[in-house]
Amino acid sequence: MGESLTLRVRNGHVASGARLLGWLEDGDPRGAEALRALHPATGRSQVVGVTGPPGAGKSTLVDTLVAGWRARGLRVGVIAVDPTSPFSGGALLGDRVRMQRHATDRDVFIRSMATRGQLGGLARHTGEACAVLDAMGYERIAVETVGVGQDEIDVAALAHTTLVVCPPGAGDGIQAQKAGLLEVGDALVLNKADHPGADAAERDLRELLHLRGASPEGWQPRLFRTVASRGEGVAALLDAIEAHGRHLRETGGFARVNGRRARRALRERVLWRVEERLLERAQADPALGSLLERVADGSLDPYTAADHLLEAWIPTPHPDPE
Amino acid sequence: MSPGRPLRVLLAKLGLDSHTIGVTVIARALRDAGMEVIYSGLKQTPEMVVATAIQEGADVIGVSSLSAAHMHHIPRVVELLREEDAADTLVIAGGVIPEEDVRELQRRGVARVFTMGTETGAIVAYLKDWWESR
Amino acid sequence: MPASPMPEAKPDLEALRRAQADWQRETLDPALARDGERKDAFTSQALRWPTERLYTPLDLEAIGFDYLRDSGFPGQWPYTRGNDPNGYRSDLWTMTQVTGFGTGEEWAKRARYMLDQGLSGLIIEYDLPTTNGLDSDHPLAAGEVGRAGTAIDTLADMEAALDFDFTGLRHLTSVCNGPQPVNLAMILAALEKKGVDPSSFTLQMPNAILIEYTCVGRYLFPPEHGLRIATDVIEYTIRNHPRWVPIAVVSAQLYAARANPVQELAFSFAIAMQYLDSVLARGFHVDEVAPYFSFITGVDMDFLEAIGKLRAYRKLWPRLLRERYRACRPESLRLNLMASPGTMSLTLQQPQNNIARLAIQMLACVLGGGGRTMTTPLHDEAHALPSEEAIAVGAAIQHIVAHETGAADTVDPLAGSYAVEVMTRRIEDAVMAEIENIDAMGGALAAIQQGYFQRELAREQVERNREIEEGRRVLVGVNHRVREERDRGIELFRLDPESERRQIARLARVRGERDPGKVEDALERVRDAAERGENLMPAVLDAVKVYTSQGEICDALREVFGSYTPDSLTTGV
Repeated sequence: MGESLTLRVRNGHVASGARLLGWLEDGDPRGAEALRALHPATGRSQVVGVTGPPGAGKSTLVDTLVAGWRARGLRVGVIAVDPTSPFSGGALLGDRVRMQRHATDRDVFIRSMATRGQLGGLARHTGEACAVLDAMGYERIAVETVGVGQDEIDVAALAHTTLVVCPPGAGDGIQAQKAGLLEVGDALVLNKADHPGADAAERDLRELLHLRGASPEGWQPRLFRTVASRGEGVAALLDAIEAHGRHLRETGGFARVNGRRARRALRERVLWRVEERLLERAQADPALGSLLERVADGSLDPYTAADHLLEAWIPTPHPDPE
Repeated sequence: MSPGRPLRVLLAKLGLDSHTIGVTVIARALRDAGMEVIYSGLKQTPEMVVATAIQEGADVIGVSSLSAAHMHHIPRVVELLREEDAADTLVIAGGVIPEEDVRELQRRGVARVFTMGTETGAIVAYLKDWWESR
Repeated sequence: MPASPMPEAKPDLEALRRAQADWQRETLDPALARDGERKDAFTSQALRWPTERLYTPLDLEAIGFDYLRDSGFPGQWPYTRGNDPNGYRSDLWTMTQVTGFGTGEEWAKRARYMLDQGLSGLIIEYDLPTTNGLDSDHPLAAGEVGRAGTAIDTLADMEAALDFDFTGLRHLTSVCNGPQPVNLAMILAALEKKGVDPSSFTLQMPNAILIEYTCVGRYLFPPEHGLRIATDVIEYTIRNHPRWVPIAVVSAQLYAARANPVQELAFSFAIAMQYLDSVLARGFHVDEVAPYFSFITGVDMDFLEAIGKLRAYRKLWPRLLRERYRACRPESLRLNLMASPGTMSLTLQQPQNNIARLAIQMLACVLGGGGRTMTTPLHDEAHALPSEEAIAVGAAIQHIVAHETGAADTVDPLAGSYAVEVMTRRIEDAVMAEIENIDAMGGALAAIQQGYFQRELAREQVERNREIEEGRRVLVGVNHRVREERDRGIELFRLDPESERRQIARLARVRGERDPGKVEDALERVRDAAERGENLMPAVLDAVKVYTSQGEICDALREVFGSYTPDSLTTGV
């Protein structure tokens, strides 16, 4: 069953891909199994991160990017992330409202993901979801972040190309926010450019770009004015995204990003498994269990407890005596 | 909530019905009950809704209908789910739906119809029970 | 306005304060100690403001109430007590009722019948495809053609709908909104073909597209273009058909979306001023335009809120027009308001209870001053099709209030009531503050673009639902005194599938018979006018005359303006 699912995923079968995404989100071990098998089929897609404050029009922009890519004959995946409620554990996932004209296009796969507690602007398994879409043959994958703050830079580690989308805004708060995000943008998009304040916003953004300068590999981030609801300015932006993709492939940057993602996935995987194992062992091992109880009731401090736990499990390497 | 993960519910408005108070209120009630609620917006066709449900791995499709074109659209959603081999997706409906239509819809595969005025708590309870018995 | 010049008529407030303190100590407190109160908190229904145990002259003093400045006399500034100096003593209000559904021919048949019966006012409503700018053969139109109203695809359909003798017709309301320019053009073209002089009757077009954006309704284009199109219609109508009324702010839609009175009034006024600004920018003077504005609202069950809302409504519009626009003419300043009992508190359960609710709301309308025309919703409309009996009950409610209660025999009888004046003033102050809040965002259009109205309404919708489900807001029959009832079932207007097929066939026929070259040219001119920012009406008029369909015209406009996806449900609470 698992094997034939992998095959179907590689053939682009939507329902199978959706099922695999569900396994990954739920921590079902079949998910990791399948990813193992799919790994050789990954590494081809260009992941485009789309981040920016609420009200920037990210979803509408993604919708027009999808249309543009489709017009160029490319298959597209979209992951839209929204926050999980810290109180209830539920979520309202409404980004795809703006993308529904692509709903029945078999070469477009849109998936909404809730953060499920993860910080940084992405859901915990967004990276893995990208791998699935990659293996399914979607050549471009847009990842739309939650969009609430300037800590949303996890997408930069995930994406080959990061777009920072801003609306014409009032006030210094937006500027500070943009300054933080700007560190990570490969292209800056001033959306809703037909609204009042657009020219002033453009001047401010150009100045910030100027201060930043080109990347070490020679990529100069540029500013794009768009009115995504009318598709204005999007063709130029798409050209730039494609150009960036080419630039990365030519300079070895593409492989470097993939490598970075793989190392990050490794680190994440290891840490999750460690946490899982630890909890399992704490439940099975009374000595470990009692350690946790003593921390909870205050009779043992957490620092000492941590040292004991780690020592019991992963002893400190001692140098060979000379 | 078993099986240990949030229930994923797609809330759909089909056709030209633009009443959104129902979905607004229900979306939040489901979210507050720990479910992940996907909303696909207005002016959806049954084809769009089913394609969305499959991509999103939706466990449930909830159709809100306040414009009386429900007999046109909802059975088609059920039919398409079957064609796409996704017949284990639960389909429920709510809104202004006459009794004889309720019976017909249930006959055609809609699991439950919640007529207007049903408390959100009842819908949440129904879904939780369904989910737990899976 | 001078302050009231009779100081000796004012009560001695110190004495009053002492007397109230005495009353509290000697009479009230013992009663409270004995009986307690039945609720922990008493708040008004929609606004959730604390309702005081007792209102006295001290409350009027606290708000600085001045009779001449705040209430005055009916028919003149400040208009709080009414727009007509003689209230309903000269004429009662016009009592109206809902009409019905159907195709163009069926509507024309009913129009002929109603005119024969001596009615002089008609309302034409359109089906969902038409109000969404879609033709009857569009995939999304399936199951909706001719259901919620008349289907109008081309001029041929409008000619069929208006195929009756216009001699007795005084007033025609065409409820369209989104594709209003197309609707207006088709009416004009049809009248021209019939040889009817447009100035022989009044056409009223709500054309209130901005409200539709706030309550997720029927709009086609992004809000700034919706506004531009509505302004085109207003400008064209004022210049060419000055007897016609090209705007009505249907604040009842906000009410239906659960807006409380402060939100309803503030959002409506902000939207009205957005239209006003847009029209004035085309070279009009405020006194040429303001007289065209009318407002349509519904009241809810909270008696004080309902009356306070109507009085504040009447007081605020002249104030805004004078303070912000320097309008002078009474025709500009007087709020043209149509208020009727609302439907938000009518229940599916125990529908006969709704008769009582409607009667109470009707009384509130008359006491608060509901304007020159009022409608009663049907008490069983939640589940049943309009029946003769329900219509008769609705009419009787109006007549009972009019003739049996005496409420219509004196003007604004609750003026001076301490509770009513406090409520009126509180609403007025809160609405002004909210309008300033909306100003700070950049006005109504900016607020819509930022999703502000939508968020506020979503919040109210969720909160209102919680209140009912948690029993904090009582609805008899729903969460209080619930009874086992026979399953009432719901009656729906069943569309004859044949009629949809016929309409689609007619559309195909019209398309087959028209000159395709002329249609192409006409659409090109429409796109041009849209891109160049010209008034669309001339180009649209030419297009409808060569039988371009409204879907085709709207698609051409969509190419230029883009279409609009409303904010997702993730906004708000």
